Amino acid sequence: MAHNIHGTFVSEKVNKIRWRPDFMNASHYFVTGSWDNDQNSIKLWDFQENEEDAEVYPFLVAEFPHNGDITEVKFLNGDFFVASSSSGCVSLLKITSEHGIDPLIERKIYWEGVHKFPNGENCPCTAFCTYDNDIVSVGEDGSINLLNAQNQNVIRTIENADSCSIRCVAFLKHSEILTGNFRGQLKIFDIRAPKSQPATTFMLSGDQISPLCLQNHPTQRHLVVAGDEEGSITIWDLRQNTYPVNVLDAHEGGVMEIHFHPDHPDQLFTCSTDGDVWHWSPKCGSASSLLNGENVWLASEAIKNKLDVFTLMPKLHKPINSLDVNRNKVLCGCDNEAVYLINGVNVFK
Amino acid sequence: MFEAQEINAEHKDLIHDVAYDFYGQRMATCSSDQYVKVWDQNSDGKWTLTSSWKAHSGSVWKVTWAHPEFGQVLATCSFDRTAAVWEEIVGETPGPGERGTRHWVRRTNLVDSRTSVTDVKFGPRTQGLQLATCSAEGIIRIYEAPDVLNLSQWTLQFEIQCKLPCSCLSWNPSLSKMHPLMLAVGSDDPNPANGVKVFIYVYSESCRKWTKMDAITNITDPVYDLSFSPNLGRSFHVLAIATKDVKIVNLPHVYDNPNSQNVITKLDAQIVAQFDDHESTVWRVCWNVTGTILASSGDDGCVRMFKMNYINSWKPIAVLRGDGSQVSNEGQRSSVSSTVGPQIQSASQTARYIKLGAISQPRDVPWH
Amino acid sequence: MDNTAKTFVIPNELCRRAGVAASWLSVNEFGVFGHQKTPKVDKPSHFAPSDASVFQLRPDIILFKPILRKLVNEANGTFLTLQALVATEGDHKAELLKLSRQYRSIIRACLENLQDEVMRADGDYREELQNYITIFYSVECIWHLCEILFVDAVPGNIVLPHLLDWIRFHFPKYDRNAASMLAGDLGGLESHPDYWETVIGSLLQGRVKVVRALLKLHSEAESQPFRIVDQCLRAMPVYNMFSGTSIAEFNLQWNHWVVDVQSKIDAKMFISCYNLNLIMKLTVGNEIAWGEIQQYCETWYEMLAAWLFFTQPTVKSFELGQFAKQCITKMSIGNRIKHLDRMLLAAMEFDILQVIKEIQNMTDSGWFVSHLTDLLYHSGRLSDTTIETIENFHPDKLRESFLIDYGSLLMGHKSLWQVGLSYLDHCPSDGPEVTKLLLARLPLNSEMRAEKIVREALNRNLTETAQSICKVQGMACKNRGRLGHALAWALKSQDGTFVSFLSNKFLREYAESGDLNSIDLLDNLGSCILASDRLMFLGKYYEFQKLYQANEYKEAANLLVSLLESKIIPNFFWSILLTDAIPLLECEKMVFSSTDTYIIMQCLEEQEKTKDLKDKLPILRLSATRNLARALVHEAQLK
Repeated sequence: MAHNIHGTFVSEKVNKIRWRPDFMNASHYFVTGSWDNDQNSIKLWDFQENEEDAEVYPFLVAEFPHNGDITEVKFLNGDFFVASSSSGCVSLLKITSEHGIDPLIERKIYWEGVHKFPNGENCPCTAFCTYDNDIVSVGEDGSINLLNAQNQNVIRTIENADSCSIRCVAFLKHSEILTGNFRGQLKIFDIRAPKSQPATTFMLSGDQISPLCLQNHPTQRHLVVAGDEEGSITIWDLRQNTYPVNVLDAHEGGVMEIHFHPDHPDQLFTCSTDGDVWHWSPKCGSASSLLNGENVWLASEAIKNKLDVFTLMPKLHKPINSLDVNRNKVLCGCDNEAVYLINGVNVFK
Repeated sequence: MFEAQEINAEHKDLIHDVAYDFYGQRMATCSSDQYVKVWDQNSDGKWTLTSSWKAHSGSVWKVTWAHPEFGQVLATCSFDRTAAVWEEIVGETPGPGERGTRHWVRRTNLVDSRTSVTDVKFGPRTQGLQLATCSAEGIIRIYEAPDVLNLSQWTLQFEIQCKLPCSCLSWNPSLSKMHPLMLAVGSDDPNPANGVKVFIYVYSESCRKWTKMDAITNITDPVYDLSFSPNLGRSFHVLAIATKDVKIVNLPHVYDNPNSQNVITKLDAQIVAQFDDHESTVWRVCWNVTGTILASSGDDGCVRMFKMNYINSWKPIAVLRGDGSQVSNEGQRSSVSSTVGPQIQSASQTARYIKLGAISQPRDVPWH
Repeated sequence: MDNTAKTFVIPNELCRRAGVAASWLSVNEFGVFGHQKTPKVDKPSHFAPSDASVFQLRPDIILFKPILRKLVNEANGTFLTLQALVATEGDHKAELLKLSRQYRSIIRACLENLQDEVMRADGDYREELQNYITIFYSVECIWHLCEILFVDAVPGNIVLPHLLDWIRFHFPKYDRNAASMLAGDLGGLESHPDYWETVIGSLLQGRVKVVRALLKLHSEAESQPFRIVDQCLRAMPVYNMFSGTSIAEFNLQWNHWVVDVQSKIDAKMFISCYNLNLIMKLTVGNEIAWGEIQQYCETWYEMLAAWLFFTQPTVKSFELGQFAKQCITKMSIGNRIKHLDRMLLAAMEFDILQVIKEIQNMTDSGWFVSHLTDLLYHSGRLSDTTIETIENFHPDKLRESFLIDYGSLLMGHKSLWQVGLSYLDHCPSDGPEVTKLLLARLPLNSEMRAEKIVREALNRNLTETAQSICKVQGMACKNRGRLGHALAWALKSQDGTFVSFLSNKFLREYAESGDLNSIDLLDNLGSCILASDRLMFLGKYYEFQKLYQANEYKEAANLLVSLLESKIIPNFFWSILLTDAIPLLECEKMVFSSTDTYIIMQCLEEQEKTKDLKDKLPILRLSATRNLARALVHEAQLK
């Protein structure tokens, strides 16, 4: 592998991987969530690189055993993060780092069994999204839960919001969420309004293809991208209407995650079940259009000619389930029980 | 080296049969105490009892699972002359926060037999929901649920007279649509003068009938169990037979020719292995999921395992026997790693495994 | 009784008294329980009342230990690279050697990892880790030798330099000591307790330059004997394939050199220093001297490499076996030979099948034998003419049987099943069938997992397996009370019967409660509506309801008529459909033509006997007649 890629085998399949945000410095802590293991866990790693020594490995700092597969992990801030699992629960966790003691992961709130099947069996929570301290979780039971990081109770539940299982969710506004279901239906719910029906329903495509992930643009929330099981990336401008602005034929396998670069939202990162991790970047010439205030992702005509796609890593033989990007560093978590750090990703142009 | 987890089956008498579901996550047991019990493996690997009910008014001989495509379905057969089909219901409307309660409902009771029903087996998944039973009076019955989603309606499709008391039956599990349905039935009739004790029946789609094949002619000792191996796309079927020894028989493929009125009635079966390792009568034979290892149990009180190597020859690889004097606490350990987190389960949730060491350890596991 | 099968004891008294029987759970897990012949009569056994137990047995597989799972995953990457390589055209010798080294570096990484961990561990766990270190140290040692003998194309079969590399790598003590001595305070090194041991050890490993450097640091290095030794060693010819010297020429030079050194020994030139004399005797192959230094060699193969270096410097690889045996005899350890020794000896004798047979008995759960056999197979080493003569031997079958066993083993692990699949993928003969059997049996704990399994099935064109999994998922949803989602899975499984069954349930629910459920799903059927007639009817009926609620009476009426004509109406739904016609017949604006009305009336006649319709018949007849009159008048006006 190239010298800027660093792989570490961690003895568990990684379903989610996230940088711990560090607003002062470049992050060197990250969190992984495992799946399909006898005892799943959330782990905190430290990856302090060293210019002189190339043989550094991520160092396991703290471990938190968890029931079920970890289905999503998101940080609220530098210390607090939320995790969901296939056992139907959502947890608010805190990284406590007192001076001189190794950091610990502690559970602050445990919303146990917030997703259940009608017969009472626990049901996987498939995803959640966050907006400040608000958390919205969705599950195979087709229900939506509104939680808040400062409240142990479930604020609101919309039961049977969907006949099918809900796969992914994203906040559009403080009061509005977008969900994607098993049959490729996308629905906008007003979570503050009393009614439990969606305000709008539209389709990912004509063929009941299921979305695997939904992501907002970091500064323009109305710009939403979805990755689906057939490998396409669909982009909407939900200010306009629910017809996609662009559909990109991307990966050969399903698109597991999509991330905009937090500081350079014209840069996009995707990973797939067929083992690819790609970096999408506007071509130098077309970057000028950004100066006019135009968002490159909404450029309706021939967006494909304006984008360069780079593969960040040689194709892996197992699915890449998760990725995260911070500054010029990309992390991937994979089904070959390894995590990869890709350094020096060219985002600055 | 093996690890063992002991499950106290809570039956009041010997267990006659243990059956695992398609995924190996559920276990059903039956006994002379007339009860059937269902056990589930929790996420930590521990087996717990989830249902127990009095299923028959006599000893329950056999229990078997249907393919999960048909739901959670069991069939049992008993000395009380009946066979039954059971379906699990998980409480439809439990109270808030209550976990659904499970119970098994008798969907049908098959009462055609006038004597003890000695074996019951579901047919191959691709053929819908079929059930074969055999009985001490020597009749094989094949039932079908025409609507696979309605388990309370079964029709008796065929009654095959076998003339000798039947002890066991096995469906050929071939997944190929090319192969017609095939059944093997064994008889434990003790008199060698009564002739062959293994019967092979083949179903002809075009004639809509079961035909007895002239196949295995040289087994006249009583047969207590038989079992087809999972088919690995080989050019023959493999049948294991428990009689005075363990026999492994290869059977050639049969093709149903719809254009021909001449039904084939002869098969060239070949005994490819015989093991008298038990040095006594053999009661049971059982294949692993891929048909690579055969386990037999016999009157010597042992389970013996045989594996086929890459040039298709069979060799004994392991022996298991019981010995209560070997019980010790030494080597007991928890199966879960020693990482203790803030929310680890209580000890009772965790499976305990005992290490079983080999008492005689010749160095070779042979391969040719 | 056979003596090849291992015996295991179930620690249970009832199992002893009654005997045991077994039922298989999977590929290598099973349950064992106390059991006796099924009796003919129904009475309690003489063990009753008893405490019957079932013992779940599974093999203790070391590869599933977290620390060794790294090895499993990393080696899988190399295995797949190798398979991709051999699928391409051309000669792969050089690449295969690189991959063999990659495998070895994976083993090395695993050993280092184990060594780090053993420092931190204590008690049983420490012992367990040490056991793994022993196993994988042997694996590394054999792999390395096999690589030299079977994978690397050694020019001219001149194997000695590689053999010395192998010995130096696995017995690094002398190299290490020499390096620290040479790096330390110079001069008077002989005071170091390990000095002579290191000098002789280095000599035995063929490190002539190191020996000279060490001797230079002896306080008497400038004395006559030391200077002559240095000269001799400097002049010692070393065979090099690429120097242009032929073997015959080299042997001539070598013999000259030996005669020269021997004459110096005979002249007692080194007699003043015992060790110097010993060294020189060794270089000329003096049997007594060699007998003396056995203690410097931990193993016979260390001795072998050293002995060959000074007596058979141009030894060919195929001659190794005979020298190895001589060496073992010379050291008289033939009766103390261990498993590792046997494996190495078999390799040196070029008995590849014996090597493979022996490494099967290593307790590494088949990791080594599958990967090495695969590598040897692709290096063409299993189709050598010597092996082909063995009856019934098929190299491809041998390779495949190991890969199938290894792949099936991993398929039985909760997390490693994807890795297992990739081994089965490269078994052309039985792989697809085993995959079909095992893939379908992977537990479907969550939808995410189920979908990954379905995708793997579809990637391998196992459509039927994929559909079966979808159906099981649908059945589970049905039992959990999620009918809408059950229908979604049923549609994926393309099982028309199941789709119809669920559609029927929706229609029945509607018939009973007047509520149509899962309408979001019905809104979005797309082409799936064709999956079954019952679903088609359900979808169309929902469409009718939407039109009616949107006051689109004309369109609603057209749809209703086409439904009545369609012959796909469930019997229990006739009365509902006909009742739905009443308000439309009575509609202020006429929505049914005369032809439409005739159709409705005809249906009424046919369904006269329908129970639910009884009290509605008069009003239906009346409405229909009134509408017919309206329609006929209207249509007449149009003419």
